[in-house]
Amino acid sequence: MDGLKCPEVLLNSLENGHFVIDENFTVTYWNRWLSVSTQISSEEIIGKSLQEFYPDINYIILLRKIRTALRLNTPTFYDSNSNTVFLPIIRNKVTKTALKLIQQQVTISPYIVSENKVMVSVYNISELHETKLSLQKEIEKVNELNNILEHDQEIIDKNIMIIKTNTKGTITDVSTLFCEFFKYDKNELVGNKASILKSGTLPDLVYQELWETILSKKSWSGEIENKTSSGDKKWVQSRITPIINETGELVEFNAVYQDVTNEKLLEELYITDPLTQLYNRRYFDELMTSITLHQRKADTDFIILIADIDHFKSINDTHGHQVGDEALKDVARVLKNSLRDNDVVARWGGEEFVIMLKNTDLQEAQMIAEKLRTNIEKRKIQNTINITTSIGLTKYYVGEDTNLTFKRADNALYKAKESGRNMVVTQL
Amino acid sequence: MIFNEDQTDALKEFMNISIGQATAHVAELLNAFGTMHIPKISIQDMSELNQVVIDNIDKDSNYYMIKQLFSGKFGGECVFIISEDSANNLGAHLYEIQMPLEDDITDAVMELTNIITSSIVSRLTEELDVQVQFFAPTSNFLNASNIIDDDEVTSYSKIIVISTELEFKDKNISANIFILTKDEAIISLRDLIDKKIEELY
Repeated sequence: MDGLKCPEVLLNSLENGHFVIDENFTVTYWNRWLSVSTQISSEEIIGKSLQEFYPDINYIILLRKIRTALRLNTPTFYDSNSNTVFLPIIRNKVTKTALKLIQQQVTISPYIVSENKVMVSVYNISELHETKLSLQKEIEKVNELNNILEHDQEIIDKNIMIIKTNTKGTITDVSTLFCEFFKYDKNELVGNKASILKSGTLPDLVYQELWETILSKKSWSGEIENKTSSGDKKWVQSRITPIINETGELVEFNAVYQDVTNEKLLEELYITDPLTQLYNRRYFDELMTSITLHQRKADTDFIILIADIDHFKSINDTHGHQVGDEALKDVARVLKNSLRDNDVVARWGGEEFVIMLKNTDLQEAQMIAEKLRTNIEKRKIQNTINITTSIGLTKYYVGEDTNLTFKRADNALYKAKESGRNMVVTQL
Repeated sequence: MIFNEDQTDALKEFMNISIGQATAHVAELLNAFGTMHIPKISIQDMSELNQVVIDNIDKDSNYYMIKQLFSGKFGGECVFIISEDSANNLGAHLYEIQMPLEDDITDAVMELTNIITSSIVSRLTEELDVQVQFFAPTSNFLNASNIIDDDEVTSYSKIIVISTELEFKDKNISANIFILTKDEAIISLRDLIDKKIEELY
């Protein structure tokens, strides 16, 4: 071997390529691995220029690396990640591979400096490179998924009203749409109690039931009325979900809101009498149907009153319909103001009103009916016209057809009219 | 303090000579005539490396970062950081083309790193009379904010940071070099410096 310092057998036994060249690129040694891998035998290449066999190598760069190695007496390197391989050697991997050619790490080491010779070592790093490529591919996939996730989160944030609170009801996060809807900056809400949004018109009972449900780690759904920072009332359909950690502890509440203000307004219009602003007959009928259908104990204990304005036709005929309407509105106001929150009053039609007194015994109901009658009697329409009402009273018997209940109430009312009006008559 | 004032002065002087030699090699081998600034030498906790590097670069730019390991009794790592524009100019210069390819740029930066690391570290190891083995450099193209990953910097407690700036004014190329060595190497270096100081006085 031409000037080789170590035994040829050693270099031939290595699983890497090693060859010796000088500054003219003349090859003076070519090991067995290279002969086998490149199909160029050492007999063919030794004594000849590498350029004859590998014309595509950038020889300006190679010469600079050779000179650097010789001048500094230190190895020089090619970038092992480069897409251009130094010696194109076909990879024999039969199963799926990302690399057709062997990926190489090339080191140029000073060999015999006085003769300007260097040893070029070619290491096969294909497996490592392949792993790196597949890892890069996986990272790209993960990044892509992250981008999609971020994009989705942005869509959710801008299009869904979400509020998160801790277990004490202090707001910890809100979505952008939530802030826009309630006209708050995020920092005005975070740290505050969720009750800042309460409109104040819903009975405490609603919130009590809500808290009992979610604190028992169950979801709560329902409609609640809230208010914006400028005081506008908004109805939302809310679903509150308790979040529980691995050990079963309650950690926070997440709620999704949906604006149902318009639906609520329509619903109210549907069940409200436009003149008196009391419930209309449709609502009262639905309420009665629901009660008799479900027969819940708490709902079936009630008294029915039917009130009718006395001589209403003559008020209309004498003073005109406008005054008649005034009388209806006035009576409605008196009824509403004289009753309890959980009693229900509706306009039954014409000058008739129907009242449901819940969880009331007969004696108490009679006292209430009497109070209604006297309160109306005390009123003067347009400060001059006296009006009176006749009231028929009956009790609902569990399980009976409500038509029978109303028939009894009607009969009682008829008796009151017959007996001289402006009185309460009970029929059981 | 690991180095006293005299030792620091001597180390600076020693590094000046090494860096002068590296500059000469770069000029000769890469045909690029430049200057290297007087090196700043400091002993840092490894956790402070990120700040040291960030102080020397523009936070909004992208950089090529080449790392080359050298092992032996005086072992460590040379970190070469060069901005995207400078690397493009260096690639264009070394490959003698206007628009160098990504591979050309990386190769050019690696070549410059190799020459500088070899020049400086070989000089030091010769003086220390210890053997050194250089490993193939690895390259990364990164945003300034990702240059040093905090997870990377746990292996050493103290490091010696030798940082300098390399400028090739006519080629508009500048770069930062950080030579990081670990505890044992720092002690070897201090012993060497003491020997040199003794020889001088």
